[in-house]
Amino acid sequence: MKVGIVGIGHGKFGNRSDATVQELAFEPFKESIEDTKNLRREDIDALIVGSVPEYHMQRSLPGVVAEYVGMNPKSTWLTEAACASGSAAIRTAYMAIKSGIHDIVAVIGVQKMRELSTEEILALMGRVGDVQWESIFGTTFPGYYALYANRHMHEFGTTKEHMALVAVKNHFYGSMNPYAFFQKEVTKERVLGSDDVAFPVNVFDCCANADGAACVILTNEKLAKKFNETPIWIEGVGSASSQMSLLRRPNLVEIPSAVEAAKQAYKQANVKPSDISVADVHDCFTIAEIMAYENLGFCERGKGGKFIEEKQSYIDGKTPVNVDGGLKAKGHPVGATGVSMTTEIVKQLRGDAGKRQVSGAEIGLTHNVGGIGQYTFVHILRR
Amino acid sequence: MELNGRSAIITGGSIGIGASIAVEMAREGANVAINYRKHDTEAKEVAKTIEKLGKTCLIVKADVTNNKHAEGMFKKVIEEFGGLDILVCNAGINIDRVIWKMSENDWDNVINVNLKGYFIYNKLAASHFKEQRSGKIVNITSINGLRGKFGQCNYSASKGGIISLTKALAKELGKFNVNVNAVAPGMVMTEMAKNIPSEFLQKAVDETVLGRIASTEDVANVVLFLCSEKSRHITGEVIKVDGGQYI
Amino acid sequence: MPFKYFGKINFTPYTKVDKFSEYLHKGKLMGSRCKKCGETYFPPRADCLKCMDDKFEWVQYSGKGTLHSFTTIHAAPKGFDDIAPYTLGIVDLEEGGRLISWIGDIPKKEVKIGMNVKVVPRIFEDIPEIKLYYTIEKP
Repeated sequence: MKVGIVGIGHGKFGNRSDATVQELAFEPFKESIEDTKNLRREDIDALIVGSVPEYHMQRSLPGVVAEYVGMNPKSTWLTEAACASGSAAIRTAYMAIKSGIHDIVAVIGVQKMRELSTEEILALMGRVGDVQWESIFGTTFPGYYALYANRHMHEFGTTKEHMALVAVKNHFYGSMNPYAFFQKEVTKERVLGSDDVAFPVNVFDCCANADGAACVILTNEKLAKKFNETPIWIEGVGSASSQMSLLRRPNLVEIPSAVEAAKQAYKQANVKPSDISVADVHDCFTIAEIMAYENLGFCERGKGGKFIEEKQSYIDGKTPVNVDGGLKAKGHPVGATGVSMTTEIVKQLRGDAGKRQVSGAEIGLTHNVGGIGQYTFVHILRR
Repeated sequence: MELNGRSAIITGGSIGIGASIAVEMAREGANVAINYRKHDTEAKEVAKTIEKLGKTCLIVKADVTNNKHAEGMFKKVIEEFGGLDILVCNAGINIDRVIWKMSENDWDNVINVNLKGYFIYNKLAASHFKEQRSGKIVNITSINGLRGKFGQCNYSASKGGIISLTKALAKELGKFNVNVNAVAPGMVMTEMAKNIPSEFLQKAVDETVLGRIASTEDVANVVLFLCSEKSRHITGEVIKVDGGQYI
Repeated sequence: MPFKYFGKINFTPYTKVDKFSEYLHKGKLMGSRCKKCGETYFPPRADCLKCMDDKFEWVQYSGKGTLHSFTTIHAAPKGFDDIAPYTLGIVDLEEGGRLISWIGDIPKKEVKIGMNVKVVPRIFEDIPEIKLYYTIEKP
């Protein structure tokens, strides 16, 4: 029994100091209901919230969100998997519907990254990896990806130029996406000339913290056509974990959980990497996108730099990737990202992506990584 | 034997309290190194005594206010003994005057030998001990560093300074497993003391509650205790060996 | 010597491998070996990953290894801004296992992935508190 997406909604990502977390969640929730045909709010029988609680002053987020959007007394809870919370929540909804326990589930990915003081955020960010053996030396998010990048450069000859080209592409497409945080293009020189954050990662190699929310409504095969003429089906769901600590990983040039999750999704959906028409991947840092090309099989291991150099991830390339701007241009409200990716792929498969449309998009993929690679969720969607 | 296999440097170890400390340490199993400035004959005597006990005694000509001499001595000791475990700073002088008759040189010389000399040797020992994460430092002060003595404003100042130096270093070196303590003798019967007029000696005896003057061994025994594992939990402490002269 | 003395800022007041910091204070880098199946681990762990047995013994590591990757952190988290910028290195230890720590006295342009290094246990010297760590040095 298939599971399909019948409604999508997306809020503006960026500095949303104008709204509380629940007010933020309301926007795409409303939009996603209006995106359907005939669905009423009371038809939805569960709300799953994807978010990382540590960033908010408000505790127990699903509680306030469910109340504000008007879902009481329906079932609601939180699904969390760091930056992959959005996709994890979608997976949970998929499982709930597949099992027959729920029929129509709304998934809201929502995050405010700027409620805490800079000091509190800095302290939080310092506890990213293995706190017992790594954080005590002052590791940071960009630092971890810089360790991957440096090794990738050493093993495969990937360069800072390659990394910069990813930023250039994503900002190019971001400038066409009204929901993105950053609406301006950037040049390669600007990226390479930006300040060091953690060598070899520069400021412009990093996605920005942002506030934002997105929503998708899922239902089963039986009800889908009732609420949308073009339901987009979830054909493959993959999910895997890697060691939290870099000290226990097999290598630092790939994200093992991504490789594994992709394998599962491809198998279930019965497709190959070359069948993917369009993908949204987790470019929290430019090197992450390069690694994603390889981990998802869009190119050979080590050839990710070449892939972007040859523009293969542009709309007219071999496998268009992040043509909505990616995390780089949209910003990364951690809980919302996975859901945002999903709305983009749904748009593409419906043929609704306007200037950014990949022609004839048939099969799409979302790749959502949590933290420094300890979780990955890969979903394959099909029209 | 308490100090078996250990090696020690004792400054001013050619005569008096220093010589006694050196000999008693050797008796407990340590190899020692002593410096002398002008008492070379006496230094050789100490070395002979120690060799009879079956241990080694290095004698080095060094002025304790000279950093280069000190570095040379440490280098030699560490090379010959294969390491260093104990430093006893003991070399000291006094030039007694009431302050209005005390020249700048009288002040400087006492401070340099008694206090700066301790800084130079304590610093070299600290740098070595913290790398090996063990060590014992004993700084010989005086009850006249705890109290003020008429005619010894320079000596008292230097001996008082040694006490605070000892306490500060105890705090800096504690985490490296190094004990730093001070011993404060009262009147001690040394060769020098034998030349003091008898009335002054009697005055000192009367000051004590035990009615006697310390022998150099009385002081050496306490120094040994502070260099042994029996005192491993004592640091930053000042132990008087004065027969109750100053309570 | 409680584990909370380990690291510039410690987030782990209690652990089953508490003795690690005691050994580190004495200048020794210690990993663990499962008593049942013999698997060794660095960083040490009390419960064997392979056979799940919980009895282990301590094994000394030489500290020798090769540099697997490194990065220089400019934007530091809270509590580390006073030492920024600093260079983190990941070392593949000769006997197996890995660790992450600061590059010590190796000049910037000599730091290369694949170079031989030695991990040296250290005590923070300029503060009164006892705080233990290690740095990556030339062998």
